[in-house]
Amino acid sequence: MISVSRGKLALTAKIVLLALISAIFLMLAQSAFAQKEYVIGVFLFAVILLTLFTYLTKKSIPLKFFLPGILLLLAFVVSPILYTVTMSGFNYKTGNIVSKDEAVLQIQNRAFEPDSAGTSFDIKIGTFESKPAILVSDIENKRYFLSTFEKRVPLSNGAVTLNEYLVAQSAPGFSPLPTDQLAAADSTYSGKRFIFKDEYFLSLEGLDVAIVARQTLTYLEQQDVFKNIIDGTIYKDNGRGNYQAGLDSAAILEPGWRAPIWFENYSKLVTDARFRDPLIRVFIWTVVFASATVLTTFALGLLLALALNKPLHGRRIYRSILVLPYAMPSVMSILIWGGMFNSEFGAINALLGTDIAWFQNPNFARTAVIVVNLWLGFPYFYLVSSGALQAIPNELLEAAAIDGANPRQIFRKITMPLLLQILSPLLIASFAFNFNNFNLIYLLTGGGPRNSLDGEIAGATDILISYTYQIAFGSSTQDLGLASAISLIIFILVASISLYGIRKSKVLESFV
Amino acid sequence: MNKKSLGFTGVLAGFALAISSFVVPSASAASEIVVWADESRGPNLTKVIAAKGDWVPGYTVKIVTFSSFDALKEAFDKATDATGPDIVVGANDWVPTGAKSGKLAPITLTASVKARFNPTQLFDLTYKKSLYGVPIDVNNVAMIYNEKLVSSAPKTFGEMVSYYKANKASKNLKAGLCVAGGGMSWGAHSVFSALGADAYQFNSRDEIVYNRTFNYPKFSNNIKTYLLDGKKSNGFFPATDTGCKDNFLAGTVPFAVIGNWEWKDYVAKGFAMNLMPVPGVTADAPGKMFGSVSGAMLTTYAAKHGVSAGAKSLMTDFFASTSGQVAYQALEGRPPAEKGAQSSSAVSAGQKGFGAAASTAGIPQIGAFLNNNKGGANYWDSAPAFWTAVLVDNKDVATESKKLANIWRSNTTAGKSDL
Repeated sequence: MISVSRGKLALTAKIVLLALISAIFLMLAQSAFAQKEYVIGVFLFAVILLTLFTYLTKKSIPLKFFLPGILLLLAFVVSPILYTVTMSGFNYKTGNIVSKDEAVLQIQNRAFEPDSAGTSFDIKIGTFESKPAILVSDIENKRYFLSTFEKRVPLSNGAVTLNEYLVAQSAPGFSPLPTDQLAAADSTYSGKRFIFKDEYFLSLEGLDVAIVARQTLTYLEQQDVFKNIIDGTIYKDNGRGNYQAGLDSAAILEPGWRAPIWFENYSKLVTDARFRDPLIRVFIWTVVFASATVLTTFALGLLLALALNKPLHGRRIYRSILVLPYAMPSVMSILIWGGMFNSEFGAINALLGTDIAWFQNPNFARTAVIVVNLWLGFPYFYLVSSGALQAIPNELLEAAAIDGANPRQIFRKITMPLLLQILSPLLIASFAFNFNNFNLIYLLTGGGPRNSLDGEIAGATDILISYTYQIAFGSSTQDLGLASAISLIIFILVASISLYGIRKSKVLESFV
Repeated sequence: MNKKSLGFTGVLAGFALAISSFVVPSASAASEIVVWADESRGPNLTKVIAAKGDWVPGYTVKIVTFSSFDALKEAFDKATDATGPDIVVGANDWVPTGAKSGKLAPITLTASVKARFNPTQLFDLTYKKSLYGVPIDVNNVAMIYNEKLVSSAPKTFGEMVSYYKANKASKNLKAGLCVAGGGMSWGAHSVFSALGADAYQFNSRDEIVYNRTFNYPKFSNNIKTYLLDGKKSNGFFPATDTGCKDNFLAGTVPFAVIGNWEWKDYVAKGFAMNLMPVPGVTADAPGKMFGSVSGAMLTTYAAKHGVSAGAKSLMTDFFASTSGQVAYQALEGRPPAEKGAQSSSAVSAGQKGFGAAASTAGIPQIGAFLNNNKGGANYWDSAPAFWTAVLVDNKDVATESKKLANIWRSNTTAGKSDL
């Protein structure tokens, strides 16, 4: 009896949970479709179907355990990688952000110019003959008229009711929109062209103002070109995400769009010295920085672990103090160190009695970066080394001592090899982590110093990831396509290092 | 699928639909105008908008506040049709990139609204002859001096240097003049200018001169005379802005270039707002500081959200109006851009002081020139690099000055087409 009711309870809980999950994903899918994010919408819908199939049938028991992980992997690892790979093949930068359809639409929306006198009129929004219309007041000339998308109807002064500012409020056949309907009707009136005179039309610049303007460009869809109506200039798709007049690369219409340029971002990294040379320099420093960090943090952590591995008065207090830098948020630590290294007002120069320009001189800046990372990183290696030291059987050390080995020989021949065997995967993981240690560089030096006077893009302490950030977001011109290409190179490097680490540590052996 | 499974599925589908009807969010109201602002402006705009709810009858205004100016910029760079604001309150140098990338939409002001602003302020928000926003507040810097250290306003740059050298040891001065506000490029322009290097040149009719740059031999001589002892910095002017404000407030730096957004901090510490331009090499040629505006900018998302006309009305009836700017600046404390608000009695002495300093020696911050990389670097990057090269790395002043002059001239020449 109890098991039957438990079964029913479990089933009910399962249905409620699945219903909740389905409902949430249904909501997200609906939202994605509404925002025209069709790929995301389809993915979310597939998640619902797959979840229901997996948990309502008994086709695959392992999938019931793996599905959440697989879905998260797809959503947050695989899809960003695919997106980055895709974007690396595009001319995706400031000025070329939107899609081509959006660019065409925006060029059309901007393709008008106000008349030379900058004429504007007070208006009242409403309807005339059941169609959108504006009641226009030309106060200066004391003339009033109605304008719709098709026609302009002059009004005699006696036919309109004016307010104290001489703005017409009502006219025969014109029904002004009540205030509570203005917002709902906004898109019916905004961006539309109400008839004025000759090629000039009226366009809303607010709920009570219209300006006189004329169209300057027209889009010829079949030829996929824009034509300047006034001077006849033709703007053609230049194949790089812009409509361009003739061969003048500066004569383009804005905005541009993301256009495929295939492998150009990659070839630029090899052939263009402006990008290639800094990339090589940054790569070398990245390797040096990651290696130096691993070596110094491991060495200091191990040294302290060895020192505190022996009975010592107040050992617990020392251990607690040593873990403090690890317990403190690294962002805070980095910013404090940044202040301490300040050339003019920092504590370090004050203590040393020097005037070293820590963040302005490339070598001192690199030294500061490694010193700060040593501070941030040694407690981790102190902790893992302490643990690893305790895992080494005492019998081995005692046997070596009985055989006549001195402490140095015991450390070199027994302790260290065993430690390295245990800690190798962590050392490799630490190397991979520091290879991408963006926070430290960004917060401490910003990648600098950077000699912009000589046109340097990369700073002396820039590592690959901060250099990528600099290209992507570091200046007023963002080159996201190029940054994506560099990101992919970093991904390949880090993946190779990780793969090497996994093979070396044989952690996947149990799955084979 | 057996009958039992079908039954489960039916029950499940019923549950899911029932629950989704509760959790599906309603689309954002079509009558809501969304404004994005930074951590300072956002809360103040929220209060002002809340105090008078009908700035645009028929619409509600929602202010979204970001944790910092940088966070706001980052969010705006990543905004999409669904997430983007209808109006963003940002810096004037967002205009060229925002317009190029299709994020900002042009707005045409009527003659009466235009007349409320200084033409250079509208020029700040213009890209390729189209206006993209309305000016809200004036951003500028000015120099103040510590009256406990210096008895009267210095008349020349040399006077400040002499004071520093004479009192460095006795008064434990950490520096003579430093930049506390605006950074080593924007904030430091008045120092560049005081020594003879302007980002771009104007003729006597205040027109931009494209084929002339600053006189770099003269500028490098001034650097040698006033900022160096031999090849090394004499300590008068630090190459970075870090710690400047704290040290000025602590009385260890007598002169500082401060930003108008932080004048209250100095007043709170008892400093008088003795605002002035950085004195030049001669008394009649003070350093010119950048004057720029922050603006409320119309985005292309407003049209997509169906609130374009409402958003434009909010821009002219609130952001560009005397009453709107007075109410807002009473809380925000920056010099208002609108002429009526500038002369309002509600505007404080500090706000007016910066306005006066800007009009004494200000030049417009022209994004088309300053953001340009055509010379190999833009103004923002090359200016701090110059100070580092000369004051820290002890590089040859003449060589570095020539490089700087060439970069700025290239920037200006190339930016001409974007005006």
